[in-house]
Amino acid sequence: MDSSSSRKPADRPVVIFVDSSRQRDFVVGAGERLDVTFVVLPGTSAEIPVNVEIVGPGANVNLKGLYLSSGKDQVSFNINMRHHAGGSVSRQLFNGLASGEAKCSFFGKIIVATDAQKTEAYQENHNIVLSDEALVNTKPQLEIYADDVKCSHGATVGKLNEEEQFYMRSRGIPEDEAKVLQMISFLAPVLSGIEDEILASRIENAIRSIAI
Amino acid sequence: MDQREEDKIIEGITSQEYKEGFVTDIRQDFIPKGLNEDIIRTISSLKQEPEWLLEFRLDAFRKWQKMKMPTWGHLDLPTIDFQDIIYYAAPKKDSDRPKDIDPKLEETFEKLGIPVREREALAGVVAVDAVFDSVSVATTFRTSLAEKGIIFCSFSEAVKDHPDLVRKYLASVVPTGDNFYAALNSAVFSDGSFCYIPKGVKCPMDLSSYFRINAAGTGQFERTLIVADEGSSLSYMEGCTAPMRDENQLHAAVVEIVVEKDADVRYSTVQNWYPGDAQGRGGILNLVTKRGICKGSGAHLSWTQVETGSAITWKYPSTILKGDYSTSEFYSVAVTNNYQQADTGTKMIHIGRGTKSRIVSKGISAGHSQNSYRGLVRMNPGAVGARNYSQCDSLLIGSKCGAHTFPDIQSHNPTAIVEHEATTSKISEEQLFYCNQRGLDAEDAVGLIVNGYAHEVLSRLPMEFAVEATKLLQVSLEGSVG
Repeated sequence: MDSSSSRKPADRPVVIFVDSSRQRDFVVGAGERLDVTFVVLPGTSAEIPVNVEIVGPGANVNLKGLYLSSGKDQVSFNINMRHHAGGSVSRQLFNGLASGEAKCSFFGKIIVATDAQKTEAYQENHNIVLSDEALVNTKPQLEIYADDVKCSHGATVGKLNEEEQFYMRSRGIPEDEAKVLQMISFLAPVLSGIEDEILASRIENAIRSIAI
Repeated sequence: MDQREEDKIIEGITSQEYKEGFVTDIRQDFIPKGLNEDIIRTISSLKQEPEWLLEFRLDAFRKWQKMKMPTWGHLDLPTIDFQDIIYYAAPKKDSDRPKDIDPKLEETFEKLGIPVREREALAGVVAVDAVFDSVSVATTFRTSLAEKGIIFCSFSEAVKDHPDLVRKYLASVVPTGDNFYAALNSAVFSDGSFCYIPKGVKCPMDLSSYFRINAAGTGQFERTLIVADEGSSLSYMEGCTAPMRDENQLHAAVVEIVVEKDADVRYSTVQNWYPGDAQGRGGILNLVTKRGICKGSGAHLSWTQVETGSAITWKYPSTILKGDYSTSEFYSVAVTNNYQQADTGTKMIHIGRGTKSRIVSKGISAGHSQNSYRGLVRMNPGAVGARNYSQCDSLLIGSKCGAHTFPDIQSHNPTAIVEHEATTSKISEEQLFYCNQRGLDAEDAVGLIVNGYAHEVLSRLPMEFAVEATKLLQVSLEGSVG
């Protein structure tokens, strides 16, 4: 497994297309910003360990990810968000679709060190299981050692809403297209961070490929 | 609120005293310290057990010897010397009057507010099985329950009087080799309660077990088995206390609950074992396995627990939702203070179609304590249309404590829906200010806010317990402002 580390995070949002297992470490200092979106397309099996160390106050970290898994893909995220210093904000949002016999796992930990007061840390992981054989395992974890903090996490595993499908089909949208629209809207909170239109259309094509 | 005042108040919590810390001086029978096959044979013969039960114990012991202490909990567990524990202690029976309860013992239970004599219990209408160290000392309301066919007695009596039932259900939910502490319990369990509700019977009163560890250097290993047959219903309560001692005492219990088709069981616990002193010396190591199975369709099992005691709590009341459309709930309030550590939560294993579960966990940590929620929700391939909702909140009081959430969600079914939410926060200045403004001092305000925070769980407790639990919360956290 390769390892890459950037001492100084980029000022601009970064989109990372994951194609292989690789560890990524980020150190975020006082007042710095980190904005990274991970994209895992169908046909990719990878372990994605991400370590973020927040070492100064006033930092702002935004981690996003979407994974579209089909066939026999195995995708596993392992996020460690460590707040060593107080007064910083971190947000995580990871949404994924599992179809075929894919196995998706999300392990995400927020650690707030003693005295890292006034920390705000949020984490969300949402999954949709599209087939009988797909498997989703999610472990969002909080380890909090300071009291004056705002931390939350949420995780869901579910299916595409049938009432929404019925609504669209009764208005003349074919079933497959309705599903694509549902998936796009499910991933929209992550997609909104991707400004490059070419990238966005690649993702849309990938959504269509696993919807059928 | 300035820092100095805050510190003073936080110091205030650490000086809270444990009110059930008295020791009862009565004559007791002990067996020697240590654990080996001879000890197990001695326990078995003291209890005049049949051969199959001795075999059951020995089998469990052999499994236990091959097992290792689990270390995955977020706990700093002291080394336990299993050879330094007395595995059986019983109040000495007066051979002339074997039916009577030792007056000292009765006094103990009186101090704890547990009426063991029926006439005194009439006001409360709760049938009680009281377990003192290793034996059950009294079970009330036996006859009136028996009229309805309900069996409620100590585990030892059940082995003698209803061996078929015990044999059928014992270890059917928690196998002897399930985990390290369950195996240990299966090998050396002393007493506990047995309860059987026949088909279609609604238990007319709440049943209750009280456990107390009294003797020094002993451990308590009780075993509870509850069977609710088709269409029956039961509300069961369990309470625990222990004296103050400088050493750690071990409590490794197993509770098994079998809920047949359309039966309804509500199991409530108020756990107030001695938590150790302000420096973290002593206290009970509460390492228990509790599990129920919703065997038939439409079965319902609900767990409610209020955990305020114990130096270390390692406890995950779980439900196996096997029957189609069976449901289960887990409501928990866990309070830790000083150097207490709690790693508690639940497991919901969805096997049947349309099964539903709900988890509400409220953790409150103060002092130097560590409080973790650990839960598993698993949707098996057959759990079509199953649903789970989990809500885990943590409240931190003071800057030296920790609150952690470790959920694990596994879904093997595309039609199952699982939702988990967790938050961590402290009592906000605004809330306190609001209360202060209306003439409540800081202590009352915290009590009010904590009770409101835990209300969703406390409101699930049976009346008698709800009062006790509310008081316990107030005592544990009196005057704590973070």
